[in-house]
Amino acid sequence: MPISEEEKSAALSRVPLFEGVSEESMTRLSAVTGEVEFGARQFIVTQGQVGSGLYIIVSGAARVVSGSHELARFGPGDFFGELAVIDQQPRVASVQAVENTVCLALASWDLLELLKHDPTLSQNLIRGLAARLRSTSEHHRH
Amino acid sequence: MNTTPQQLVDTLSGLSLFADLSRPQLEQVAHKLSEESFPEGQRILRQGFSGTGFYVILEGEVAIRIDGKEVARLAKGDFFGEMSVLLGEPPVADVVALRQLHVLHLGGPDLEGFLREHPTVMFRMLRTVALRLRNASRWRS
Repeated sequence: MPISEEEKSAALSRVPLFEGVSEESMTRLSAVTGEVEFGARQFIVTQGQVGSGLYIIVSGAARVVSGSHELARFGPGDFFGELAVIDQQPRVASVQAVENTVCLALASWDLLELLKHDPTLSQNLIRGLAARLRSTSEHHRH
Repeated sequence: MNTTPQQLVDTLSGLSLFADLSRPQLEQVAHKLSEESFPEGQRILRQGFSGTGFYVILEGEVAIRIDGKEVARLAKGDFFGEMSVLLGEPPVADVVALRQLHVLHLGGPDLEGFLREHPTVMFRMLRTVALRLRNASRWRS
């Protein structure tokens, strides 16, 4: 069964990057967010490759691996590539589906296209990141 | 140091923050932001004091210091001051010129409008802030 726009929007709004984003912008974001299915053992993202998107697991399970080490396991509601969707840095680890896994995927080029026409969204994202960066520096201090 | 408007536009065209802008847009930027110079040792932003705007480094180098401890250095093409302006809070760090510094300055209240007029600059800024957050989180862990 396809995932509804409301469910997509709800899943996206749980990602810290999109905290404080208006409902209108969230609707546009969910419109460009697609559903992707991965079979068992298939790689969702590969270590060293440039990050091209944000993934949120809807169903299934995945493992985070660096070389031959398993670093973590992801299940429904977990997400990754939150910053990669913006800064397009190489992935620091691979994520591999453990079983049949359905993800929501937001491609960085789709986000970029949205940002061009939605300055409020850009502004909200910068503010959110700046606030997190600030709390990181404060944490660093104490 | 005085530069002609033409030289300034040339300099701006080489900075990644403005890489997507056309020549006429760069001219607008050069017109909108003012050039300023600071001697070595000068504090441009003070930790805990009210913010004074957004700065893009044209020449020179600055140290970012939190409680007197250097956490980063910024040089040509880098920018600072945007966090305090966007969050409406005083700077969390001192920014000190390590040598003669030449910057472009935009007053805090004008930054939002400027970024809205130039969405590609905003996106590049967004990308840099994301990178900084990524690096900061790495230090912490």
